[in-house]
Amino acid sequence: MTLEIAKKEILEFRRDGRFRAASAMVLGLLLFSLALGIQRHRELRSEQQQAQSETREHWLQQGKKNPHSAAHYGVYAFKPVTALSLLERGEDQYTGVAVWLEAHKQNEFKYKPARDSNSLARMGEFTAATVLQLFLPLLIVLMSFSAFSGEKEQGTLRLLLSLGVPLRQLALGKALGVAGGLGLILVPSALLGSAALWLGNSDGSLLEDLPRMGGMTLSYLAYFVAFIGLSLGVSAVAKSSRLSLVTLLAFWIFNGLAAPRLAADLSRAVYPAPSSYEFTQRMDAELKKGFDAKALEQKLLAQYKVASLKDLPVNYAGIALEAGEEHGNEVYDAHFRSLWDIYGKQERLQQALSVAAPLLAVRSLSMAFAGTDFTHFSRFASAAEQYRRQLIHVMNEDITVNSTAEQRGYMSDEKLWKKVPEFHYDLPSVSEWLSGQSMALSILAFWSIAGMGAAAWAATQKLRLE
Amino acid sequence: MIQTIVKQDWKLLRADRTLVSLALVVAAIVGYAVWNGSQWVQAQKGTLQAAKAEEGKRVGGLRKSIRAIESGEKEVKPSEDPRSASTIGATSAAPYLMMPPGPLAALSVGLSDLYPSYFKLNLRSRQAVLANDELENPLNLLAGRFDLGFVLMSLFPLLVLALGYNLVSGDRENGTLKLALSQPIRFEQLIAGRILLRGGVLAGLTVLFLTASVLIAGVDLSAPEVLPRLGVLLALELVYAAFWFGLAVWINARVSSSAANALTLAGLWLGITLVLPGVLNLVATSMYPVPSRIEMISAMRNAGRSAQTKGSELLARYYEDHPELAPEDSGARAGDFATLSYAVQMEIDKNVQPVLDHFDVQIEKQQRFVDGFCYLSPAVMLQSAMNDLAGTSHHRYRHFVKQSDSFFAEWQQFFLPRIFKKAKLGSQEVEALPKFQFREESFGEVMGRVAPLAGGLAAWSALVLLVGFRKLRTVSPAE
Repeated sequence: MTLEIAKKEILEFRRDGRFRAASAMVLGLLLFSLALGIQRHRELRSEQQQAQSETREHWLQQGKKNPHSAAHYGVYAFKPVTALSLLERGEDQYTGVAVWLEAHKQNEFKYKPARDSNSLARMGEFTAATVLQLFLPLLIVLMSFSAFSGEKEQGTLRLLLSLGVPLRQLALGKALGVAGGLGLILVPSALLGSAALWLGNSDGSLLEDLPRMGGMTLSYLAYFVAFIGLSLGVSAVAKSSRLSLVTLLAFWIFNGLAAPRLAADLSRAVYPAPSSYEFTQRMDAELKKGFDAKALEQKLLAQYKVASLKDLPVNYAGIALEAGEEHGNEVYDAHFRSLWDIYGKQERLQQALSVAAPLLAVRSLSMAFAGTDFTHFSRFASAAEQYRRQLIHVMNEDITVNSTAEQRGYMSDEKLWKKVPEFHYDLPSVSEWLSGQSMALSILAFWSIAGMGAAAWAATQKLRLE
Repeated sequence: MIQTIVKQDWKLLRADRTLVSLALVVAAIVGYAVWNGSQWVQAQKGTLQAAKAEEGKRVGGLRKSIRAIESGEKEVKPSEDPRSASTIGATSAAPYLMMPPGPLAALSVGLSDLYPSYFKLNLRSRQAVLANDELENPLNLLAGRFDLGFVLMSLFPLLVLALGYNLVSGDRENGTLKLALSQPIRFEQLIAGRILLRGGVLAGLTVLFLTASVLIAGVDLSAPEVLPRLGVLLALELVYAAFWFGLAVWINARVSSSAANALTLAGLWLGITLVLPGVLNLVATSMYPVPSRIEMISAMRNAGRSAQTKGSELLARYYEDHPELAPEDSGARAGDFATLSYAVQMEIDKNVQPVLDHFDVQIEKQQRFVDGFCYLSPAVMLQSAMNDLAGTSHHRYRHFVKQSDSFFAEWQQFFLPRIFKKAKLGSQEVEALPKFQFREESFGEVMGRVAPLAGGLAAWSALVLLVGFRKLRTVSPAE
């Protein structure tokens, strides 16, 4: 019986002009955003790879230089463009594209793409993720808001019940019907998405990204199930179809438009982060203190058993430079860690708030699987920073060991530059960061189960014939 | 007669609990949005105050020590002389170039959370400073701010549509249309009265919301040119509300049920506020993509290479920026080093600056192209105009950057000759250092950008109202 009901629902959807129009629009938007995004995505990927190898070329072809000058010239690290960012741009527009790795400073990533856009871009981010997170739930609402209330109003509910159809089967049949109708859109969407991914990332291997793609798909499916459950539940409880629609639309507006901003406000209030001014001032104050030169001197004199720095078998300059770096690195570590800690707390609070709005959970998971959330960004930033320290260390070592204090204008050459390996970065595997999304995962799972449960309960207990 | 209808409809509206509660909800949302915006402005002002205080303390300390040296109270080693031009220009007197929040910034956060509101001047390199950012969790930047601009653009139209969606169809469905028309009244009068009343209520609500916003945000009405800006903002809001109201009238003129009207209007709302901006953005940036910063970085690195290498050769004996580690020299070593490093930096800057300038021109061209697409969407036009009036648009930021650039040139012109001469500054010179004062754009300059947008919005509203009313005239009451 359930399957019969489901089949009938799907047939009705296929015949409904409004459903056909709405799904055509959704598919159209999806196709549009993917098509226009593919070219841009390919360009961004090749640009990033090219820039990364170019900066390496610049480094190797510096010519003869004092190693510390080379350390000041430094290299650039360019933020990777993940394969799935074609579908979900996440925070990519709001994190800098490149960071300058130079001596003495842990720089911040510069040039956020959003800064180069204008208000039009800020208002309308259009990716596959937007369509899935915002417009598909709207379609679900339109498909299910009159599932029960419509039957009541048309008088067909009475007929169904007089045939002895158990309410539970009716509810399940309706749910499967909506899911089936949705499937008519989701299957072509999935094909479109996969084709787009394949076209947009034909240089890399998509096989590595299969777990991420799978995770993303499951998250969105859970999100849709939650919305189906919610819509059916409201439809069963509402006094009229009109009331059902208004309630669901109001929730959709809250979920899609208001919740992300309100969650951001709340997380800022509960876990305030320092302003750029405060952050820089505090860091600068500690950096100014510098390292204890006298203690270092004494340690070296004792270690090498000499009377003064001039008698050291190594160049004090290199050791002093390294000591300065180490002091700076400690300060940077402490401050950036505490800043990122605050951001992490803000993010987890927003995940928790998805209890009121499932969009927050699916957005968090979608960005995480696409590799465009802050966890992925900060991991790259840390890797770049570690590379910077390694590079500077090799330079300082050279000064220490291969030059003397009296040497004016000591210069090294490509042999030294080559000693620093090329910067290589791999995306983390899913298992590395999944625990950070545990709240989003569990709340989204809860939403889908509770949504379905509520729908079942509403249909069987609350449905009245009047 | 119309007066009676107006009074009657007012009573009906007041009695409609859904509508009243919706209006109250929107009012609460407006209040929260404005409060939110003013919190952001307060935070910005706090930062600027702290920076100013720090600068004041620093420069005060500098003045004191210079006076002490000049009067002979203090003696300093030549390498630590606080009067050295390079120290003063680069560190002890380095000013903060500040752009205070715009006069109406609390009403529309706009893009101001993406741009810094101050630069700490860095005598060495302009480029280092200009790429700075305010610190914020990218997740929160992605969501955007819950400010009045967002509410007026996205949520307020819903109230307008709620007031207008059953203008004609409501009566028809309730059966009261036939009753009303059995009185000595024409259908046109009935509709006109209703439109008048509801339009009036809408206008009244708009004025009320905006006034309340101004009060909550604590806008300084006595500040120059604030009132004209507010006036234009109010006008824009009314035109925007008229656009949506016109849409409701037009949809009503099609013979339909209230429910169908509501669905159609909701669809239009979705399309205009959510879908259209995104689609326009996609099309615009596909036709004319944003110039690549990555390319810019590569170009900068390439342009600066030879000057860099030459400079590194010269600075090799100083370990680039550590004169204290260089082998012992005689005399004004610190002075030599400062001169040399600034000369090197200037040479690099000379080669790199053209790349940046070229990029800026490209970016401006691209943004102007995308801005043109604004005219296809009333929502985007409203948002852009609001940002401009509130002083939170990228135009104002660019205005600030230009002023900072010229101040930087002034600062360099003052200090570099003195650094090359290894001069020391006296206390009188320190008093006479160039000072930065942000010059706000005049109302005329802002209106130069807002007027076309306002015109575009007015054109859209006029079009919709015209079409709507003409369609309305074809409606016959007997359906």
